[in-house]
Amino acid sequence: MPVWLREYSWRQTGSAVYVSLPLRGVRVTPANIFCTDQYLKVSIPPFLFEAILYAPIDDTNSTAKIGDGIIFFTLYKKEVAMWDSLTLANANKEKLQCIRENAVLKAHEKAKEETEAKKVTKQEHKKYALEATMKLEEAERKRIEDLKEKERQRVTKELELWKKQQKNAEEQKRLQKEGELHQEVEQLKEKKKEKMNKTRIPNEGTSKTRLKPTKGHGSYSMFSENLKEEQLPAPRSAATIKINFTSRVFPTALRESRIAEEEEWLRKQAEARRTVSADLSELEDLKEEEKDPDWLKDKGNKMFATGNYLAAVNAYNLAVRLNNKLPLLYLNRAACHLKLRNLHKAIEDSSKALELLTPPVPDNENARVKAYVRRGTAFCQLELYTEGLQDYEAALKIDPKNKTIEKDAEKIRHLIQGTVQDS
Amino acid sequence: MSSGGPERPQLVAHVQQALSYTLFDCKWVPRSARLLCLGSAARGTGLLQLYELQGGRLALLREIEKAKPIKCGTFGATSLQQRYLATGDFGGNLNVWNLEAPEIPVYSVKGHKEIINSIDGVGGLGIGEGAPEIVTGSRDGTVKVWDPRQKDTPVANMEPVQGESKRDCWTVAFGNAYNQEERVVCAGYDNGDVKLFDLKTMSLRWETNIKNGVCSVEFDRKDINMNKLVATSLEGKFHVFDMRTQHPTKGFASVSEKAQKSTIWQVRHLPQNRDIFMTSGGAGSLHLWKYEYPAQRSKKDSEGAEMGVAGSVSLLQNVTLSTQPISSLDWSPDKKGLCVCGAFDQTVRVLIVTKLNKV
Repeated sequence: MPVWLREYSWRQTGSAVYVSLPLRGVRVTPANIFCTDQYLKVSIPPFLFEAILYAPIDDTNSTAKIGDGIIFFTLYKKEVAMWDSLTLANANKEKLQCIRENAVLKAHEKAKEETEAKKVTKQEHKKYALEATMKLEEAERKRIEDLKEKERQRVTKELELWKKQQKNAEEQKRLQKEGELHQEVEQLKEKKKEKMNKTRIPNEGTSKTRLKPTKGHGSYSMFSENLKEEQLPAPRSAATIKINFTSRVFPTALRESRIAEEEEWLRKQAEARRTVSADLSELEDLKEEEKDPDWLKDKGNKMFATGNYLAAVNAYNLAVRLNNKLPLLYLNRAACHLKLRNLHKAIEDSSKALELLTPPVPDNENARVKAYVRRGTAFCQLELYTEGLQDYEAALKIDPKNKTIEKDAEKIRHLIQGTVQDS
Repeated sequence: MSSGGPERPQLVAHVQQALSYTLFDCKWVPRSARLLCLGSAARGTGLLQLYELQGGRLALLREIEKAKPIKCGTFGATSLQQRYLATGDFGGNLNVWNLEAPEIPVYSVKGHKEIINSIDGVGGLGIGEGAPEIVTGSRDGTVKVWDPRQKDTPVANMEPVQGESKRDCWTVAFGNAYNQEERVVCAGYDNGDVKLFDLKTMSLRWETNIKNGVCSVEFDRKDINMNKLVATSLEGKFHVFDMRTQHPTKGFASVSEKAQKSTIWQVRHLPQNRDIFMTSGGAGSLHLWKYEYPAQRSKKDSEGAEMGVAGSVSLLQNVTLSTQPISSLDWSPDKKGLCVCGAFDQTVRVLIVTKLNKV
């Protein structure tokens, strides 16, 4: 139950009403005050003050001053009149409720309207700002354009002037040369008259007319050219210079190279070379060289060559224990297993080798071909001919020129077709 | 980007002309306001067009059609009076034409087995001393030097050793022709090799590799003791080598700059100022650069051998003219700042670069 506050005092003038409401011990904020045009409420739980005003007031202009323990309302009347009392006399409960609700609704509507108005003004401000900036930028652009245009015109004028100068210079040169030519022709004519050689004269005739064309090259050149030739050195004696082009690890130019893949391959190789630290205690009693995977690989190769396949496998096993990233170890071990007819192991090792031989680059082509061929052979010996054929075809793709692989692939194809026909 | 401060050179587009064929090279005719466009027509024949700057436009004066598309041309090896054009075409033929009578070439030889990518001439136009010579670089990996007075055989041939896989030669340039005997040829290849051949001693003087294919090389001047060499490459990089000091092992000092993301197709030095050059790019842009020399051009290394010190390069201005690569560029030797460029969008543009006096 709220505590009604009834100790208020009020006075009025013709146009305003002044209400003072004492509130002891409570803090008042603007949020606690609610006022519409005919309803005033102050609610600070548990205290409550409400007043249904005698006549409508102008609630937008009315003010409430929150003092120390007191609120002072200044309410401006809509109509200038003297009120009999602050509140309406007869007010039953329902009416009160109605009025309260109306008041709340009205307040809501007012709030809405206010926000709408605010939005509209904001939009207009934005638009204005935008237009102003656009105008400024336009002005700037125009200024720059004007500068450029002026430059262009000035430069065009200069060019025309220069051209005229050129033309004049050419004209003068031509006239000069013509004059000289005339002189020389005169001299020649005299000489010819002496020698009675008439064949040159038609030439001179044509050479005169050829001075007319606009190009201005002039045929007087034949006289001056002869003199000049004698001053030039003789043509160089012919010689050849042999050149080499810069070599690269991979012989492709930068734009053609699949450099990322090649770098990756090189890096992998480099990593693989670094022997993995042997923390296996049994290896302590081995000699230094026996811990080197490369040396072990060589040993394995030698034993394979002599036919001692078990020993070769042992060597490769040890090498793998030391460094399991060298694809060639797996590749060679696969070959040994093939010879020993450990077909499953051969397949495993070839697969492991192929895994390590990514990314596929021209450098590891040979190794990949061998891996595919060995795996293919193992499959075929296990009578898994389709898988075998797949591997042979992969090998052919890398190295299409290899005849043995082709022949073997053919054989397998026939075998497959044979078994299919049987069943 | 193109405005900049009031004192920076501006690249003003003066005239633009749309063509109906693919343009490979454009050159100014010396001592005139005329320019030459070389290219390939749609039906696979070569085209030579002569234009003249008239007012604000280019007027077509002559059009000459040839059997094979023409890739490159130069006026470098002819005298000022004759102004013969040397061209290299797609069939590997080197021809020297008199533009007055272009039906039959003045000199012709099937120099290479494949397209001649680049051509340069020296000894003509009153520049430099010594015999006029033409050098051609081809896709067949060889670089050959020709003398128009000697038929059929080159006077120098730089070819790969037997059994070596060949790399395309993309660009050639003459240099160091300061007296009658001295001359060098610089060649750039598609694997990034830059090789310097000395024609006096007939030997390879220096080589290096700049990793990306070399699109264009040029000395700052052909007719002086070799001073600077610019080599441009794919992927937007170019290198400026200081050619005055050659270290026995390290070669020449260089500074490199990455200008743009696309290929730099051409570099051309301003004929009137050898420290300013322009590069043209695969994104249709032109950049104007200035080279600044270091305080000391050479210093001694730890063993007491002289080595060069490279300077620095600064960008003066840039402009984007087209969406297609600008494949050819030529400065006019007569008017400072006038240049022509041809792009793969079949347009030839004449530009004027202003304020070069103040740089």
